[in-house]
Amino acid sequence: MMGPASVVRDGIDDVRSVARGWRWGRRPLVPRSAEAFVPEVEKAVFPTAWSRKRPARVLREVAQKGGLEPVFRSQVRTHVEGLDNLARVEGPVIFTAPHASHLDTPLILLSLPAQWRRRTAVAAAADYFFDTWWRAVGSAVFFNTLPIERRGGAIATTPGDVLAEGWSLLIFPEGTRSKDGWMGRFRMGAAWLAVEHGVPIVPIAHRGTFAAMPRGAGWPSRLPAETRRSGPGRRLMSSHTRGRRQLTIRFGEPLHAAPDEQVGDFANRVKDAVATLLDEERTTWWESRLRAGVGTTPDPGGPDVAAWRRVWAQTESPTVHAQPRRAWRSP
Amino acid sequence: MSRPGFVLEVDDRTPPLVVHEGEGFRLESFPHGTRVIYPPESLPTVPDVDEAISQALLHPLDSEPLPALLRPGMRLTIAFDDLSIPLPPMRAPDIRARIIEAVLTMAADAGVDDVQLIAANALHRRMTADEIKHIVGERVFRSFFPQGQLYNHDAEDHENLTHVGLTDRGEDVEINRRAAESDLLVYVNVNLVAMDGGHKSVPIGLASYRSLRHHHNAKTMVASHSFMDHTRSHLHHSAWRMGRMLSDHLKIFQIETTLNNDVFPDNYKFLMKREWEWSLRDQGSMLAARRGLAVAPSRVRHRMFHDLRAPYGLTGINAGETEAVHEKTIETVHRQQLVEVQGQTDVLVMGVAYLGPYNVNSTMNPILATCMALGYYFNSYRGQPLVRRGGAVIVYHPMRADFNQLHHPSYVDFYEEVLAESTDPLVVEEKFEQQYATDPWYVHLYRTSHAYHGVHPFYMWYWAAHAMDHVDDVIWVGADPATVRRLGFRAASTLADALEMASSTVGPDPSISYLHNPPHLIADVR
Repeated sequence: MMGPASVVRDGIDDVRSVARGWRWGRRPLVPRSAEAFVPEVEKAVFPTAWSRKRPARVLREVAQKGGLEPVFRSQVRTHVEGLDNLARVEGPVIFTAPHASHLDTPLILLSLPAQWRRRTAVAAAADYFFDTWWRAVGSAVFFNTLPIERRGGAIATTPGDVLAEGWSLLIFPEGTRSKDGWMGRFRMGAAWLAVEHGVPIVPIAHRGTFAAMPRGAGWPSRLPAETRRSGPGRRLMSSHTRGRRQLTIRFGEPLHAAPDEQVGDFANRVKDAVATLLDEERTTWWESRLRAGVGTTPDPGGPDVAAWRRVWAQTESPTVHAQPRRAWRSP
Repeated sequence: MSRPGFVLEVDDRTPPLVVHEGEGFRLESFPHGTRVIYPPESLPTVPDVDEAISQALLHPLDSEPLPALLRPGMRLTIAFDDLSIPLPPMRAPDIRARIIEAVLTMAADAGVDDVQLIAANALHRRMTADEIKHIVGERVFRSFFPQGQLYNHDAEDHENLTHVGLTDRGEDVEINRRAAESDLLVYVNVNLVAMDGGHKSVPIGLASYRSLRHHHNAKTMVASHSFMDHTRSHLHHSAWRMGRMLSDHLKIFQIETTLNNDVFPDNYKFLMKREWEWSLRDQGSMLAARRGLAVAPSRVRHRMFHDLRAPYGLTGINAGETEAVHEKTIETVHRQQLVEVQGQTDVLVMGVAYLGPYNVNSTMNPILATCMALGYYFNSYRGQPLVRRGGAVIVYHPMRADFNQLHHPSYVDFYEEVLAESTDPLVVEEKFEQQYATDPWYVHLYRTSHAYHGVHPFYMWYWAAHAMDHVDDVIWVGADPATVRRLGFRAASTLADALEMASSTVGPDPSISYLHNPPHLIADVR
């Protein structure tokens, strides 16, 4: 038998070892050589209808405005454009955006006007956000998530049901977060839903989330010290904003599927719209339009260069000038 | 759906892995690249055990149905495996009880009056009444034990042994007289591992020292390449010769059963799971078990383990002619335990758990721990040993010189007298075996108390002979250095130290394989 002190000490060591080995607080990993032997788990059908009822909506409002938003804004700065496009349309709509980070969802939701935010559900991977009850409840409360089966399987509520109830949907058509910050292949689910349910798609472009919190990171990073100082073309940061990374987001014009338009064609049109919005984010509305007109919009999938260069290019946070650039430059 | 066994390669994602060490276990972080051999998950069990038993008895292999072999006035003997299998003991009802009840029901229906039941314990210790009752069940126990018709085999009761004859190699076949002179001998087996069963049941379980010495000796054991493959084991070759000779003299109806890999009850289920698949509850159970074991007095710790009863499930039952039955049995055992491994390794790592065949309700002394590691685990291969010739073996076990005086009296003297002089199995055999095998005090304790036979520690040492001949270094982690030195091995505090010590044998960057058991597994080394 051991002394009390060594029992306690060894107990603490054991807990530490387990916390490290089993990645407490993080997603568990399977050793690479064991991946082929991971059993097929029975997909749990997680009901989310409750999360769109009034009590959950009230709870979500408190959670988002009282918890999520203050924390989010204390960690990053945001710059929102294109909200006027939402005035042209009545819900429900499908918001589609590239997916580069777990910051994407709070960025989009917290950028939406309150009346839109309160009526928007988020399509989320069932195998990721609904694999444990606490993750499922947490994401449903905070983000109004709706499980989507990436690998096929039963779900309790379909996105179509949610649209039919008058809720807008946020869908990331890539189906997963980008590994290098550049946009991946758009799957056709969002376009199919829009065609099937006769709702418009509002494309969204955003930048900076990958630089702030890429895959694998659990919290937004801060700007390195030297880049915090004000530089040419940048206004002096207040002490409140110092160190926070910049995120930008731009909502595009709603896109309606033409009466005879095929889903694949509509999906391409949505992707092109996102690409043009990204171009607009980097330049101006007019320049991006000109390039779109001649088909020279930069590929949102990024340049065909070495992997490290692709990542490198995306690790820089966007800058926002003190005065918004005008679309028409002075001669 | 049960998953097959597989070989894990330790990487940066691998959590610490469970390593058993006596009445406890530790979490060990193995070097990246270490191969870890995991047993297959439990096979599906038979849906209706009683129906499966009935079918096996009514439709045997290469034999008439059991009822056709039963008639009034006959001498029927039922022999059964003793408490050395399965490990841990099976949660009641033991499968042997259910089979024996079925056999006896048929015997009663046929009007058989002369029935005796014999535990085939060879030179193992006599079981207590409670231990026998656990195996055969209360109903059978009450009907036969008080009348003296249910008892342990006595290999030293020369009045009740029959010398049946010699094999073509001149090996004595001497077994229990009642069994030898029966009209029908029904043998009820639990085929826990591939080395059990077949002709190892009757010719060994009911034999005398005179018969056993032909295969339980250092020379045969060294030459027995894989005890888990009876086609390549000299020990089994000898037993097969004896069994074939016996079957010319005696009608044997062999009943063999196979079990799944459910060796731990619910509270310890995490020990059977692959570590990275542990739920939070499993992690909590493990932490609680570790703390509980750390604070528990040794007696409590001992009980915590030895009171465990395995919730084994029946995966198969076959009855009839011994060899036909055993062929089917081995197929199922292999399906449950075989894991394909590509190539040998420089260093084989093993953790010896609290239990082996010879310390049920007892203590695993250093000789038994050696037998478990170098006898059973090392030999748990098919094809070629998992570790290369000249490689190293690293074993986890405390190796305290604790002996159970009731069960293992000759082990104490073997440790103090024999091993102090030599650890070479051949020398030990030559110089001491006869003396211990015939010592009147040990014989007396074997026959009247609950002691293993005087020669038993020698057999344990011979089990390890093949491994000792094959590898150049045996290092025990977390072991008592003085005990380990006595046994001719080396001790290390940690795995890192052990690998450093082994580097003189296998170099600084050896390939390492860890045999992750229990549950039981056989490495099919290609």
